[in-house]
Amino acid sequence: MSDTNTPNDSYDGDQSSLTSRLAANPRPALRWAAVAAVLLVLEFGAFIGGTLTVLHALVLGVTGLIAAMLGLTISKGIETSINEVQASILSQIDSVRSTAEGIPTLLSRETIPNQGHRLGPDGPWAETFMGLEPRLAWLLRVTLIVVYAFVVAYWLFRGWDIFRIYYRQADWTPTDDIINRLRSHRWGVFGVLIILLFLTMALFGPALGPTTVEANIQSPYGHYVEYYSNETGQVENVTVGNANFNSKSKGAGTNVGPMSYDSFDRFHPFGTLTNGRDLFTFMMGGARTTITVVGIAIGMSAGIAAALGMISAFYSGTVDLGVLTVADGITSVPQLLLLIMVSAVFAGHWITNVLNGGFLLAILFGLTGWPGLWRAVRGPALQVAQEEWVDAAESFGQRPALIMWKHMFPYVVGYLLVYASMSAGGIIIAMSALSFLGNGLGVTAPTPAWGRAIDLGQNYVSTPSWHISLIPGLMIVALVTGANALGDGLRDAIDPETESGSGEQTAAGGGA
Amino acid sequence: MSNAIERKQTAASGETLVDVQDLKKYYGGNGFFAPPPVKAVDTVNFEIKRGETFGLVGESGSGKSTLGRTLVRLEQATDGSVSFDGTDITELSGSELKKWRSNAQMVFQDPESSLNDRMTVGEIIREPLDAHGWKTKSERRERVTELLSEVGLREEHYFRYPHQFSGGQRQRIGIARALALEPEFIVLDEPVSALDVSVQAKIITLLEDLQEEFDLTYLFIAHDLSVVRHICDRVAVMYLGKIMEIGDTEELYEDPQNPYTQALLSAIPRPDPTVTIDRITLPGTPPSPRDPPQGCQFSTRCPAKIRPEAYADVPDETWDAVEQLREVIRERSRMSLSATDQMRKRLGRFSRFDDIDETVEDLFEELSVPQAVQDHVQHAVELVKDGEPEEARTYLRDEFGGVCDTTRPDHHQVSASGRESYCHRHDAEYDDVTAVLSKYSDGA
Ligand code: SF4
Repeated sequence: MSDTNTPNDSYDGDQSSLTSRLAANPRPALRWAAVAAVLLVLEFGAFIGGTLTVLHALVLGVTGLIAAMLGLTISKGIETSINEVQASILSQIDSVRSTAEGIPTLLSRETIPNQGHRLGPDGPWAETFMGLEPRLAWLLRVTLIVVYAFVVAYWLFRGWDIFRIYYRQADWTPTDDIINRLRSHRWGVFGVLIILLFLTMALFGPALGPTTVEANIQSPYGHYVEYYSNETGQVENVTVGNANFNSKSKGAGTNVGPMSYDSFDRFHPFGTLTNGRDLFTFMMGGARTTITVVGIAIGMSAGIAAALGMISAFYSGTVDLGVLTVADGITSVPQLLLLIMVSAVFAGHWITNVLNGGFLLAILFGLTGWPGLWRAVRGPALQVAQEEWVDAAESFGQRPALIMWKHMFPYVVGYLLVYASMSAGGIIIAMSALSFLGNGLGVTAPTPAWGRAIDLGQNYVSTPSWHISLIPGLMIVALVTGANALGDGLRDAIDPETESGSGEQTAAGGGA
Repeated sequence: MSNAIERKQTAASGETLVDVQDLKKYYGGNGFFAPPPVKAVDTVNFEIKRGETFGLVGESGSGKSTLGRTLVRLEQATDGSVSFDGTDITELSGSELKKWRSNAQMVFQDPESSLNDRMTVGEIIREPLDAHGWKTKSERRERVTELLSEVGLREEHYFRYPHQFSGGQRQRIGIARALALEPEFIVLDEPVSALDVSVQAKIITLLEDLQEEFDLTYLFIAHDLSVVRHICDRVAVMYLGKIMEIGDTEELYEDPQNPYTQALLSAIPRPDPTVTIDRITLPGTPPSPRDPPQGCQFSTRCPAKIRPEAYADVPDETWDAVEQLREVIRERSRMSLSATDQMRKRLGRFSRFDDIDETVEDLFEELSVPQAVQDHVQHAVELVKDGEPEEARTYLRDEFGGVCDTTRPDHHQVSASGRESYCHRHDAEYDDVTAVLSKYSDGA
């Protein structure tokens, strides 16, 4: 045996199922599950709330699309009945979500409040967490949430580790190597951390902001703040709308910069927007939309690209040519033009309400984004299709779909991840560009979208209000970089400088 | 030797399992502007008897692998039929094809490439069973453990990955996978050529044992005759898509009839010094299967090629030089010209092939060249210099070509046991191959 990683043994000759192995040695699993349960309970409401928001949008979008298609092709009756089903599902999801969001979570705005007011010109603070300054209270909450999120991520990973140590039948699998390599790949780990950070923002966004999207952005005149007025010398009450109106960042003279207070005792980690809204809250609100849209779009285009790439490679010839033609057709339409056209066509249509227009965007990016990924995947797919194990599977009559799935996909997925993560950058930027262009494209106002913040701030780049454009810009850069780093790391982990096999192959071929 | 006799007894049933009739496999060439097709397998006939091991030998590019792959329907035949136990399998499709597939399996050449590294050994061997819905899941698992021990692996290897095994062990896994569906017929595509010599013998022994145990019929593909001798009952030698000689292995070894077989055999070191055949080195490389010679496939390299009557008196060395020149010009005609060269050619200022003069000088220097030969050579050289190597080639073939260059030979029966050889020299009117070749090697 020439192998270096001879497994430590432990094959007990059984062909048992996972459940029986769990029953035989339940302790490690139970210990893990107990910790996981505690972690989950702490933030149960937030998890469910976040998940249900996405689920809600998906159900609405997908059933809507199906209904519209069937309505066009078969009958109006079907469309209405599907719509009814949809409405009932949605209302259920909605009610579950509102209950879920009602469940108190440990790291919420309510437990660690940061909104309060001074009692006199120099403090002390009332209504904040333990009377801390809002800045400190907010920092504390954000830190705790981020730490919590990383602990959860670590614990999930730990769960896999426990499975592999105690319950997996194989002592070693190629995945072990992949994960070990990714772990020691610094740039890749950096990517993982960045992506985790953004996922945290998407999931816990409502708890991260110093105030809420609802109070600060959606209906500012229905909410009030209390503050200590220097003029009257006492605590006053004012609508958020009024407070916003007097906290604008519009260059020299009127500016609320990063990490500062406005004159209504409100703390702004990233400063305010030109209309006085809180930029940090705006960004957190935007993160959920942005990340959901990017996720759906990439998932779709990667799925299409992988399927078509393998079909191209497996059947080659005419099929390949057909796909190529379609791909070229799609690439030849300027994406921006297409988006503008489609937005015009769908203006006022219900689908523009799903995820505040984000769903339509996601579908469009998904449907137009795959040719690039397909091109990237087709080469490696063609190479795998040449491998003898594909022939072997064919020779015993395996179904083509399974051949592609079992024998080709695992070798293509690495490339797919790399290019998909790189296209994530493109989608984020295009989305931002769309909301930057305005005109009812993209995510509808006032729903937060990162591009719109950049747009709002573009006249103030060289003034003290530079933060409005710069901070969202930097965040986009960070997300794109993170996605690329993750992609690089995954690629290096999955295909470490394609193995030693090639040398031997030449030797074997040369003997002929 | 005694081994061989024993084997013949096990293979004695004499019943035909695989019958290949006029099989052709061409690649490409359909379409109006497509280049001519690659004739990977060009009209091949043979039979494989139940229980025997049939060898298929040839250099790379001879079409032997394509032929093997066509027999297990990894390639679809262009023309001809392959009947397996009476069914023409080139006609099968859909569920019938899938059902038939369990009868014929393949062991691949490269153990690195034939196993999917992302699956456990158990999954790999079980996959054919899964694909055919063979019995229940637990029975399948049992069958895999059984197969593992059958091929000399241990059952704890079930959950390991191919990475963790050596080449020989990987090949055993491939064999187990091929055996899973209990096939009757297995194509072994150079199963040991990628392995260490020390491991080769073990795998061969394993294959022989399995054959005995499960009454298997093998098609054993190899690139030289040395391996084949120890395992095959009958053997076919392929060159450029054609079977050159086919017959009983022992007989073919002792008394090869076809010039190509003789050349191949001369390359193997022989333990028995009495049957020396001097080593025959074949000149040049095989021609492209896209553009095979018009006559005998082997004619561009054959040491026994028949010379036309008119040039019978030309000295051997001079004739060799002529043949070499033809080879050089054939190579030239395969090169495609760049756009600039095309232009120069049109302007009459083409010079890229001017070095042909030097070649001719090298070839014919110090040789006595009869005037007739000289003139033709000169004419051909002029054509080449004009950038028309294709015409030069045709010209030389018309002038110096014999029957080997112009006409496809037939398969001639060359022994009582039914051995056949594909060569004009078996016609009564020409000298016998062996006589010619012994002269050749004496001269060399
Ligand atoms: S036919 Fe001519 S070229 Fe072909 S093998 Fe016989 S002698 Fe050689």
